[in-house]
Amino acid sequence: MATVAQTSKFSNIFWPVVAWVVALIFFFPIFWLVFTSFKTDADAVKPEFLFFFTPTLENYTNMTENYDYWRFAINSVITSTFATLFALFVGVPSAYAMAFNPSRHTKDILMWMLSTKMLPAAAVLYPMTFLTKNFLGIFDTHFLVILVLCLINLPIVIWMLFTYFKEIPKEIIEASKMDGVTTWGEIKDILIPLAWGGVASTALLCFIFCWNEAYWTVRLTTTEAATLSKLIEGNRAPEGLFFGRLSAVSTAAVGPIIVLGWFCQKQLVQGLTFGAVK
Amino acid sequence: MADRTIPKLLQTPAVVLLLIWMLVPLSMTLYFSFIRYVLNSLRRPEWTTPSISNWRGFGNYEYVLNAKDFWFAIQNSVLIVSSILVLTVILGLGIAVLVNRTFPGRGIVRVLLISPFFVMPAVNAVLWINMILDPVLGLQGIAVGGLNNIIDGLRDFPVLGAFFSLWPELEPISFRATQTSAYAVIMMVTWQWTPFAVLIFMTSLQSEDESQKEAATLDGAGAWSQFINLTVPHLARPIAIVVMIQSIFHLSLYAEIEIVSRGNGNKNLPYLIGEFTSNNIGAASATGIFAVILANIIAIFLLRMVGKSLMD
Repeated sequence: MATVAQTSKFSNIFWPVVAWVVALIFFFPIFWLVFTSFKTDADAVKPEFLFFFTPTLENYTNMTENYDYWRFAINSVITSTFATLFALFVGVPSAYAMAFNPSRHTKDILMWMLSTKMLPAAAVLYPMTFLTKNFLGIFDTHFLVILVLCLINLPIVIWMLFTYFKEIPKEIIEASKMDGVTTWGEIKDILIPLAWGGVASTALLCFIFCWNEAYWTVRLTTTEAATLSKLIEGNRAPEGLFFGRLSAVSTAAVGPIIVLGWFCQKQLVQGLTFGAVK
Repeated sequence: MADRTIPKLLQTPAVVLLLIWMLVPLSMTLYFSFIRYVLNSLRRPEWTTPSISNWRGFGNYEYVLNAKDFWFAIQNSVLIVSSILVLTVILGLGIAVLVNRTFPGRGIVRVLLISPFFVMPAVNAVLWINMILDPVLGLQGIAVGGLNNIIDGLRDFPVLGAFFSLWPELEPISFRATQTSAYAVIMMVTWQWTPFAVLIFMTSLQSEDESQKEAATLDGAGAWSQFINLTVPHLARPIAIVVMIQSIFHLSLYAEIEIVSRGNGNKNLPYLIGEFTSNNIGAASATGIFAVILANIIAIFLLRMVGKSLMD
């Protein structure tokens, strides 16, 4: 008996320490990014200032001047917000219909929607450029970025909403039908309030995906509607000259989203696995 | 009657939008893949506008299949995606089991662990290739330099110095060469996606049947055999889902390759399509069709594997 107690005492200290070390290793690159952002560009590449240096905020105060940060940040906010709203606007009614009035084809439709996610974006790169540039004239506009971000996230939004709506007892919706509530009234007054948590986390996750998207936002914009992904991608080769300022602008680009992500990590599992892992 | 039409109407916008999004560009790609179409040609200006009279049949496909780049890109895509899958699943399993117990600061550990997943790909790549992996200015370069200095210092020691003087100078690795930059991409994407695997495995572990484990312990089963015989089968479905979702994302990996490689020859299929798109649209489209076929094969395979469990 004594040996069992001893090993469990040992493992009660040993494994948590290992867990902490692993977590710190995984977080280290992010820490290093934020840490470097407080060094001047000159200090950032000097080994003697690796850990001890005079912190400065100049990289942040000069961010507008160096990178025109706010223009890109505002574009990211606008496109991600409206793409999310638009995806919900299209996705909520659709998921509502599939959850409460499933037909023979509902399964197939859901699977087909998921399969559109598997279409490699690169395969349709040129047609998209061609259509939007020469034909529709919407290349490099907020409208285009919003539309594309909405479309690439729509399958995930519908899937997530569908899994949340399925949890709501059908009787509640049917009772309201008896009372003569219109479809719009059902969605607005009964469904949304009941599934508020699910709708909110779907929106949050969709927003995060929009913010981090780095293929279409880079390829379908030049200046007007360029987002933070484009800004960072355009400054990818600093050759060590600008580690400080590049760290600052990167921190500003990912910071808000990481914090937002902390709040929805539980919903993330349900969202990304389409409710298959609980 | 109204019972059936209203739900249909509600689904229509989503279905129509996705249908257009899927069909219109894809059918254009299909069309371009069968004609001669280049963006700049002084010799044959008629090829610079898409037209049915420039019909080439399967010529573009033949051209692509004979291009060395194409096979290299396929090989590299497979290398990158499968390495990431193996690494994230193994690391994810290990870390999920590690964190799945109560200990002080568990909440903070979880928050620290999940953070990399929310970093935007462009920042991920810029951060790793410059500030961490750069052979001179990055942490790698600084660490190697520091180690060399320490060894140099030890050489002056009496007796032991003779031993250390046999040590070679350490060379930092450049992650910007063709082959090593693929490893850099694998490293940074694994860093970003291991948290995702951890999160899913952890959620699933919490629903594991504890009484089964207790019975196993009473029967004298060790921790390792419990892990192999009880935990891993319980995690089969989450593992399949992690593999499926990551395949969707990593087959179209682009930003990381673009930022790390900077035209050094390292490429995957999406990157090769991007290269062709700068002039030879016919070849780009044919490569695109190959990419779609490849993705479909994998999608069918994966959906078979997990599709059923998604609908329960």
